Amino acid sequence: MKGLLSLVPARWRPLVFGTTSFLAIFVFWEIAVMSGWANVFFFSQPSKIAVAAAAQIANGELPWNLWVSVMEFLAGFGLAAIVGISAAIIAGWFRDVEYVLDPFVWFTYSAPLAAFYPLFVAWLGLGLPTVIAMTFLFAVTPIYANTLAGLRNADPDLLRAARSFGATQSDLFLKVALPASVPLLVAGLRLGVGRALTGVIVAELFGATAGVGYSISYYGQQLQTTNMFVSLLVIVLMGVILTQLLAALEAQTEGWRVDPNG
Amino acid sequence: MAQIVIEDLAIEYKKPNSDARFMAVEGISYSIEKGAFVTIVGASGCGKSSLLMALAGLIPLARGSVTIDGKTVIGPGSDRAVVFQDASLLPWRSVLGNVSFGLEMQRYGGGDLKERAMHYIDKVGLTRFADYHPHQLSGGMRQRVNIARALAVDPEVLLMDEPFGALDAQTREVMGDDLLDIWERDKKTALFVTHSIDEAIFLADEVLVMGKDPGHVKDIVKIDLPRPRTNDMYDSEQFNEYRKILRNHLAKDMADMRMQTVAEA
Amino acid sequence: MTIALDKPVAASASLRERFEKNRRTAISTLSVIVFLLAWQFLPMLGAVDIRLTSTPLRVLKTAMELVPTADFANDLRISGVEFLAGMALAIAVGIPLGLILGTSRTARLFIDPPLMAIYATPRLALLPIIIVWLGIGLASKIAVVFLGAVFYVLINTMAGVTDTDQRLVRAAKSFGATRLDIFIRIILPSALPAVMIGIRLGIGRGVLGVIVGEMFSSEAGLGNKIMTYGEAVRIDHLLVYTLFVSLCGYLMTTGARLIEERLRSWRPQA
Ligand SMILES: Nc1ncnc2c1ncn2[C@@H]1O[C@H](COP(=O)(O)OP(=O)(O)OP(=O)(O)O)[C@@H](O)[C@H]1O
Ligand SMILES: [Mg+2]
Repeated sequence: MKGLLSLVPARWRPLVFGTTSFLAIFVFWEIAVMSGWANVFFFSQPSKIAVAAAAQIANGELPWNLWVSVMEFLAGFGLAAIVGISAAIIAGWFRDVEYVLDPFVWFTYSAPLAAFYPLFVAWLGLGLPTVIAMTFLFAVTPIYANTLAGLRNADPDLLRAARSFGATQSDLFLKVALPASVPLLVAGLRLGVGRALTGVIVAELFGATAGVGYSISYYGQQLQTTNMFVSLLVIVLMGVILTQLLAALEAQTEGWRVDPNG
Repeated sequence: MAQIVIEDLAIEYKKPNSDARFMAVEGISYSIEKGAFVTIVGASGCGKSSLLMALAGLIPLARGSVTIDGKTVIGPGSDRAVVFQDASLLPWRSVLGNVSFGLEMQRYGGGDLKERAMHYIDKVGLTRFADYHPHQLSGGMRQRVNIARALAVDPEVLLMDEPFGALDAQTREVMGDDLLDIWERDKKTALFVTHSIDEAIFLADEVLVMGKDPGHVKDIVKIDLPRPRTNDMYDSEQFNEYRKILRNHLAKDMADMRMQTVAEA
Repeated sequence: MTIALDKPVAASASLRERFEKNRRTAISTLSVIVFLLAWQFLPMLGAVDIRLTSTPLRVLKTAMELVPTADFANDLRISGVEFLAGMALAIAVGIPLGLILGTSRTARLFIDPPLMAIYATPRLALLPIIIVWLGIGLASKIAVVFLGAVFYVLINTMAGVTDTDQRLVRAAKSFGATRLDIFIRIILPSALPAVMIGIRLGIGRGVLGVIVGEMFSSEAGLGNKIMTYGEAVRIDHLLVYTLFVSLCGYLMTTGARLIEERLRSWRPQA
C-alpha cells in the first residue's frame, strides 16, 4: 500500500485516488452483475445505465426533468436566500424581532419538515408551487440562523475600534457587522443548498408531474431500475456540483473572516 | 564519560505537499555531562525543537546517533521525559490525572501511583488544584503540571522545549527559580530550549547556541556563575558579559532574518 | 476607590442581563400566543378557510382523543422500532468505520471522494430504489433511517479522530505510549464530543427518514397517518401527528445535546 502511494506525486493523490475509487465502484458493479452475482433486475448495470441515459437525453426526457428540477430548486432556494437573509438582517438590527422569530426557528429545526407536505398540497395544490414551497421551507432556517449568528459574532475588538473612531450604531451595523457576517452567511447558504435539494427531491417524490425526483418515483413504480439509476446519478451530480460551487464561494470569502489568530 | 553523546546528527523533514526533503539540522556533535543544565538558544526555525525531539526519540534521524548512558536512542524511553511548550495536557483529565498519565503510559507497577503523582504535584505547589482541569488553570499553573508530569516518571534526563514560552516575564522568572530549586535537589540532566537570553544564562551550566540553514552548533558558552543562582546575579558584570556574547550571536541571525523578510516581500 | 466603583457596575450588568433574558422569554412567548390567537380567530372572521387551517383548540381536542387510542400507540410503536433499529445500525456501523477512516490516511484517500458525493446528495432520493429492493415494510424504513443518519455519525467521528490534537499524541508518545494506548487514551476521548454531534444530527435526519419513508409508501406508522389524513384534508388529525413527531424529534435532539455538553464539560465554553 505504502509503495503504491509513493508512485503518485503528493499533490495529485486526492484526484488520482478519488477517480480510481469511483472507477473501481463502477467496474465492480459491472462485473458483479455480469457474472450473475448481483441481480440485474435489482441493481441494473453501469453499461445499461449509460445506454438508458443516452436514450433519455436523445428523447429530451432527461433535459426536461433536469430543467424542471433546477428551476424549482432555484426558485425555492432563491426565495429562501432572500427571505432568510433579509429576516436575519432585520432581526440583527432589532433584537425583539429575533425574539419573535425564535420559537418558529426552533420549531423548524426540530420538526421533520416533510410532514408539512400534505398541508402545502391542501393549500397550493399538487405540483410546482408545492415543490417550491417545500424547497423554501427546507432551506430558509439554516440561512437565517447562520446569517444572524454571523451578524452577532462580529469581533468585539473590531466593534470597539470602530467605536473609538466615532462610528454610530448604524455605521457599526452596516460597515462592521454586516461585512463580518459574510463568511457565516455563505456557510449558511451551503447548508441551505443541501437542504433545498432534499426539499426538491422529497416534494417531487411525493407528487409532481416532472423533475428528476418525480422520474425516480415514476420509474420505481414501473420497477425500471435502470432508468431510476439514471435519475439517481443525475441527482448525485447535481449535489456534488452545487456543493463544490458553494465550497469555492466559501473559500473566496474565507479571507474576510475577521480573526486575529488567523 | 558524558551521559548524552550526540554524534554527527542530521534531521530531515518532508516539504509539505510534495515528496521533496530538506535538512532541518545537520552535523551536530555535542556531549552533555550527567547532572548538567544545558540551555539551547537560536533563531526561530534553527532546529531547536527538532534536536530535542530527536533526543526524546520522537522523530527519526537522517544520519548520526544519539546515545544516553551508552545506549543508542531508538525511541522514547523511561530514562527521558519531555516538557512541551503548551497544550500538551489532556483537557479531559484533572491535574492529578495528567500527572498520573506518564506513569500509566510507562506501566508503572507500584501501588502508590496516586501518592506518587500527588508528591510531584506538591513539589510544583499545586496540591490545592489537584482536582482542577487544565482549562481552569492559569498558563503558569499549566506549565507546572507539565513539569510535574515529566518529573513524576523520574527520568534521568529532562527535555524542555520553551516550557515558559507562553508566560509573562514575571511568572517566567518565578517558574525559573522554582525549576532550579527542583533541579538542585535531584540534579537531573536538563536540556532547556528558550528564546530568552537572560533565562538561558540564569539557568545554565552551558548554553548551546544554534545557527540556521541548516541547524548547526554555532557556539558553546560555559556559564561560570556560582550556584545556587540568585536574582542579583542578573546585574553582575559577568552576567552582562554573557549577555553580550549571546546577543551578538543572535543579532546576526536576526539581521539575516530581516533581510530575508524584505527579500520575500 | 476603583473597587468600590466596580461592584455596582458589575451588579447592574448582571441585572441588565437578567432583564434581557426575561424580556426575551416574554417576547418569544407572546409571539407564540399571538400566532395561536391569529390561527384560532382568523378563520372565524372568514379571513381564511377553516377547512385548510383547522384551529389550535380543535387540534388540541383531536390530540386528546387520538393520542390515548390503541391505534396511535401502534403507529408510534412501528415508527419507533423503525427509527431505533435504523439509528442503532447507523451508530454500530458509523462509529467503527469513522474510527478506521479517521486513523488511516490511505483509506481516506480512496473513500473520501465517494463519501463526499453521497454526503452532498439527498439520500432520500434513494427511497424508491430501496423500496424496490426491500419492499414497503419495516426493512425499507430501517434502511432509510440508517442511510439518513449513518453519514453524519461516520463523518463526524472521522473528523473527531483527524482533529485530534497531534501535540497530545506526541506527549503520550514521549512517555512511551503504545498505538493502542494512544487510540484509547487520546483519540477516543478527544473524538467523543464530535461523535455525539454526529449522533445528534443523525437523529434529526433519522426522524425525517422514517416520516418520509412512511409517507412515501407504507402500511402503518406515524408518517403513513400523516399522508393519509393529509390526502383526506383532515388538517387537525394531520397536525396532531406532525406536532407529535416534531416533539419527539425535539426531545431526542435535546437529550443528545445534553449528553454532548456533559461530554465536553472539560472544555471551556466558547
Ligand atoms: N513536522 C515538520 N515537517 C516539516 N518541516 C518541519 C517540521 N517540524 C519542523 N520543521 C522545519 O524544520 C525547521 C526547524 O524547525 P524547529 O521547530 O526545530 O525550529 P525551532 O528552532 O524549534 O524554532 P522555534 O524557535 O520557532 O520553535 C524549520 O524550518 C521547520 O519549518
Ligand atoms: Mg521550537
